[in-house]
Amino acid sequence: MATLGGLERSVMSLLWDSTEPLSANDVRDRLGEDLAVTTVLTVLSRLERKEMVRRERSTRPHRYSAVASREEHTVEMLNEVLGTAGDREAVLARFIGSIPDSEAATLRRLLQK
Amino acid sequence: MTILAICLAALAFVLAVPVPRILKEAEFRSRSPWGAMLLWQAIALAGGISMVGAPMVYGLGPFGDSVPQAAGEVLKLMAAADFAALTDLGVHPGHIFALCFGVLLGGHLLLTLLLTYIRVLGQRRRHRDVVRLLSTPVDGNQAATLGRHLSLSPELIDAHVLEHEAPLAYCLPGRTNAGSVTVLSRGLLDQLSESELSAVVAHEKTHLQQRHHFLTMAFEAWYRALPWLPTTRHGRAAVTELTEMLADDGALQSHTRADLLRALALSSAGVEHADVRGQTATEAAEATPQGTMITTARLRRLLVPPQRLRRPALAGIVAIAAALVLIPSAALLLGA
Repeated sequence: MATLGGLERSVMSLLWDSTEPLSANDVRDRLGEDLAVTTVLTVLSRLERKEMVRRERSTRPHRYSAVASREEHTVEMLNEVLGTAGDREAVLARFIGSIPDSEAATLRRLLQK
Repeated sequence: MTILAICLAALAFVLAVPVPRILKEAEFRSRSPWGAMLLWQAIALAGGISMVGAPMVYGLGPFGDSVPQAAGEVLKLMAAADFAALTDLGVHPGHIFALCFGVLLGGHLLLTLLLTYIRVLGQRRRHRDVVRLLSTPVDGNQAATLGRHLSLSPELIDAHVLEHEAPLAYCLPGRTNAGSVTVLSRGLLDQLSESELSAVVAHEKTHLQQRHHFLTMAFEAWYRALPWLPTTRHGRAAVTELTEMLADDGALQSHTRADLLRALALSSAGVEHADVRGQTATEAAEATPQGTMITTARLRRLLVPPQRLRRPALAGIVAIAAALVLIPSAALLLGA
């Protein structure tokens, strides 16, 4: 039986790949596993609480879709990670330019494999 | 009490402007990151105490001979609404203004600390949720995620692999060890050798084990509270750099400098190709995952191992840090 985290990943993957909102039954069918609909509903509501999934209540049964695409989430995360990394290559270049020749030789030796 | 107020104000100024400028470039920080870290924490604490204490002590002057006594007197007079007593004591509006200013400043600092803590926790949780969904955990998917690095799976068992070509390695602290996440990108796994990858992971693990996010959180809060103050600006960057040095030391206990240096050099290239929108460093820094800052001092330190500080010097640093915090605190509680 997949872990809860694994299930969330599978469900999210399905929603990201789907071109239209899916109902809990659709998700259960497409996952192709021996899952109860209640389990799928639990996973979907957890994802909704995490604001990764949006629920359409206008239709019966309710249908679910991803709030943002995989790419948008990746960029959101990368911004947080790389925002303060600055221009790392520039730092490296400046560093190499600033050290005395003996140390530059050591560095060159270390960097060669 | 006026003398005490002046001394506290002088201390606040010294800790606010010249000291941070000197400390952030100080050579000894490479030789003892722990010592420098201790000093920064002491400076932040002592700076806060004296910055808030100076106006409050001045404002409390007419009310009594010592701070606790005067504070009690103020509360009594407020409760009794005894305006006549104010004239008797020689209180003029300047004292009231200074007292209010001190209280408000102290409240602002504490409130910002609390709000920053809550905000950062929320952002980090959000980031962890997204990372868990976007990346694949190594545990249970060793072959698929690690590929040629399969032999490293015991070390990498807690990590998640993100399918992205930019070479990334960072960690997201959680409240518990189980809640923490170490993220490695496909780009990193492709570019680094096993020993280099192992060194990077050891570096990230040190961040988590030593709980560096606590050390940086307070400085993040002070920066948000008083962004125009040199201490907070320099302090935040300095403390982040120190945590990187400490994590390097942790990795160096079981890996070579060569591996760590190569890993850093190789993971710098290619970062510019990642698709990112512009964002100010301040915005991005709020939930900064540990492990992304590279500075010249840090690289220099890896290339040429610095001589460790000897015991007397270290003892001196601890003494200064203790004095910085204890003397103003004692003066406030006991002095007149």
